[in-house]
Amino acid sequence: MLEIKDLHVSIEDKEILRGINLQVNPGEVHAIMGPNGSGKSTLASVLAGREEYEVTSGSILYNGQDLLEMDVDKRAHAGLFLAFQYPVEIPGVSTATFLKSSVNAVRKGRGLEELKPVDMLKLLRQKAAELEIDPKFLQRSLNEGFSGGEKKRNEMLQMSLLEPSLGILDETDSGLDIDALKIVADAVNKLRSPERSFIVVTHYQRLLDYIVPDFVHVLSQGRIVRSGDKSLAFELEERGYDWVREKA
Amino acid sequence: MAETLQRNNTDQLTRFSTLFAQTEQSLNGHSTDATRSIRSRSMEVLEKTDFPNRRSEDWKYTSVAPLLAPEWVLPSGSQTAPRAQAPGTGITIHFQNGILDRANSDLDTLPEGLLICSIEEALEMETERDRVIKFLEQEIVTPENAFIPLNGAFARQGIYLRLKKGVRLSSDIHFVHSNESTGAPLLISPQLVGIIESNAEMRITETFQGFGGTYLTNILNRFEVGANSHFEHYKFQLESPAAFQVNNTKAYIHRDSTFSNYNLELGGALVRNNVVTIMLDSGITSNLYGAFLGIDRQHLDTQTFIDHAFPHCQSNELYKGILTDRAHGVFNGKVIVRQDAQKTNAYQQNSNLVLSPTAVMDTKPQLEIFADDVRCSHGATIGQLDENSVFYLKSRGIPDAEARRLLQLAFLQEVLDNIEVEYLHEYASDLLIAKFEKASA
Ligand SMILES: Nc1ncnc2c1ncn2[C@@H]1O[C@H](COP(=O)(O)OP(=O)(O)OP(=O)(O)O)[C@@H](O)[C@H]1O
Ligand SMILES: [Mg+2]
Repeated sequence: MLEIKDLHVSIEDKEILRGINLQVNPGEVHAIMGPNGSGKSTLASVLAGREEYEVTSGSILYNGQDLLEMDVDKRAHAGLFLAFQYPVEIPGVSTATFLKSSVNAVRKGRGLEELKPVDMLKLLRQKAAELEIDPKFLQRSLNEGFSGGEKKRNEMLQMSLLEPSLGILDETDSGLDIDALKIVADAVNKLRSPERSFIVVTHYQRLLDYIVPDFVHVLSQGRIVRSGDKSLAFELEERGYDWVREKA
Repeated sequence: MAETLQRNNTDQLTRFSTLFAQTEQSLNGHSTDATRSIRSRSMEVLEKTDFPNRRSEDWKYTSVAPLLAPEWVLPSGSQTAPRAQAPGTGITIHFQNGILDRANSDLDTLPEGLLICSIEEALEMETERDRVIKFLEQEIVTPENAFIPLNGAFARQGIYLRLKKGVRLSSDIHFVHSNESTGAPLLISPQLVGIIESNAEMRITETFQGFGGTYLTNILNRFEVGANSHFEHYKFQLESPAAFQVNNTKAYIHRDSTFSNYNLELGGALVRNNVVTIMLDSGITSNLYGAFLGIDRQHLDTQTFIDHAFPHCQSNELYKGILTDRAHGVFNGKVIVRQDAQKTNAYQQNSNLVLSPTAVMDTKPQLEIFADDVRCSHGATIGQLDENSVFYLKSRGIPDAEARRLLQLAFLQEVLDNIEVEYLHEYASDLLIAKFEKASA
């Protein structure tokens, strides 16, 4: 599904990622943990196609294709989805309009018919209900004035609508209370299947009680310094990142 | 440059004088004394008034040279231009190149308390004559610019409108101007004198729809808004790509009244708006909203003036524009808060997106405050689309061009969201979307 090889990434001549190797197979859930500023969001951004990051060397294959050559919108069509750590607020674009445009654009990109307005409305309502989002919410400007939790839930709404084959969650759990956390985890677990994979970036082991990972990686100073199974997350929670750094 | 303009000015004035003499002769008595007297008076003033040049602060960014170059002729009464549609149902008055199209207008079925007729007819009415003369002369004799007497000299069948006190009009009035020139450049001179008496409520729209050719729509609107009244005025400007428009709109507002002006500027090669609100007493609210979208080489200029002379008044002003290709936008928002205008609330914002390196926006908020106990704010911004937002939309599968269009529409939507009437809000949105589609085609 995803194969990252010796990825080096810089921004403004500062090297942030310094040789990342990561293989994600269909159906797997990988958790990425690591201290602030270690490069987790940078990795997620490069996967999504942000242009200000310069890939100085290395490669990323996504379903056998060179991901770095793909346009941002085409990546979404191909099934890649990033739930942003800080979703942008877009005044004047209603959430509903945005979701409709997005769903139809992705469907078109996947060679499917656009949804009829009634079917679209039904789909939006149903998915919103699953995430316990008030339908009135959809009339508001995209993310504008949303609370942190509302923004995160809105990201999950987009993910469940677009049904990606690789979902990347960048700290979607940060700042959520336990009820909201469960809703987010539910959305992910509903999508889990032998074909679908997830990369879950988090600071907190707690999330991994609900979204149980197959692998846990620790990112530090632009490198994966340690990988293990879910027990690594507990160990980290107990001993902190210094322990990993020392061992690395 | 200045010299050439001066010469143009003189040449054009001579041509206007000749055109005027010819027209008056051809009318040959088919015109009442009263209207002839207003036209002659206007011509006299025009002959003494220079057309604005760029040395004047208010015309710094807009050269009127393109308006003075053509050999203008007047529209004949027998135009067969296609007829534009009104934004919605209501009382519709159609014009073809500025000439009232009686056959297709709802002049015979006006509701109780509403008078709409030609200025010529109003001048024949004992009850209206003095007011019409007074109001027109007030604008023409000491005009803010030469285009006002130009309108006065060549307007034929201007419109007079009076809404009686206490009347709340349940139908909106739509003035629909269909403009087209198939031959020589046409000078079109719509004129509207509107009186909304006290405790009255009315909404009017003006649509200027071009069907091609070179012409100049030179508008004069003069409104009197009586005490404790509500008046909404909309202008949807969709002139032809080679057409010009100059719009002088002035509202005199009396105590406790609300005047709201909405402007959607989409068409025309060179367009100049002067929107002036004079607040004559306390308790008045003036709302000025405008959105413009300039493409190709369009030049869209808006000047607004809000005069706060009395205490406890409020003005809200929001203008937003998008310029692309080689388009040039101008906004100059003048607000004066005079010494006696304590407790004034005056807000003004002009925000613009300039989307190509060859597009230009000149914006100049001009707030002059002489009172001390007031709340005033103003701001002007010129920027580009937020690339973070573009990225966010693209990451959800929306192609680049569509993402940008969505964001541009959203940018202007903030202005349209001040239109509370649903069908007009929808109409304005649809016009915008259509123009965006044209822009990206
Ligand atoms: N646009 C940018 N310009 C300059 N430096 C940047 C930019 N984005 C990230 N960085 C730097 O790159 C480093 C890694 O940032 P990144 O956001 O990837 O970390 P992170 O692991 O996601 O941190 P956190 O846990 O706080 O979210 C940091 O030092 C950050 O300051
Ligand atoms: Mg981060």
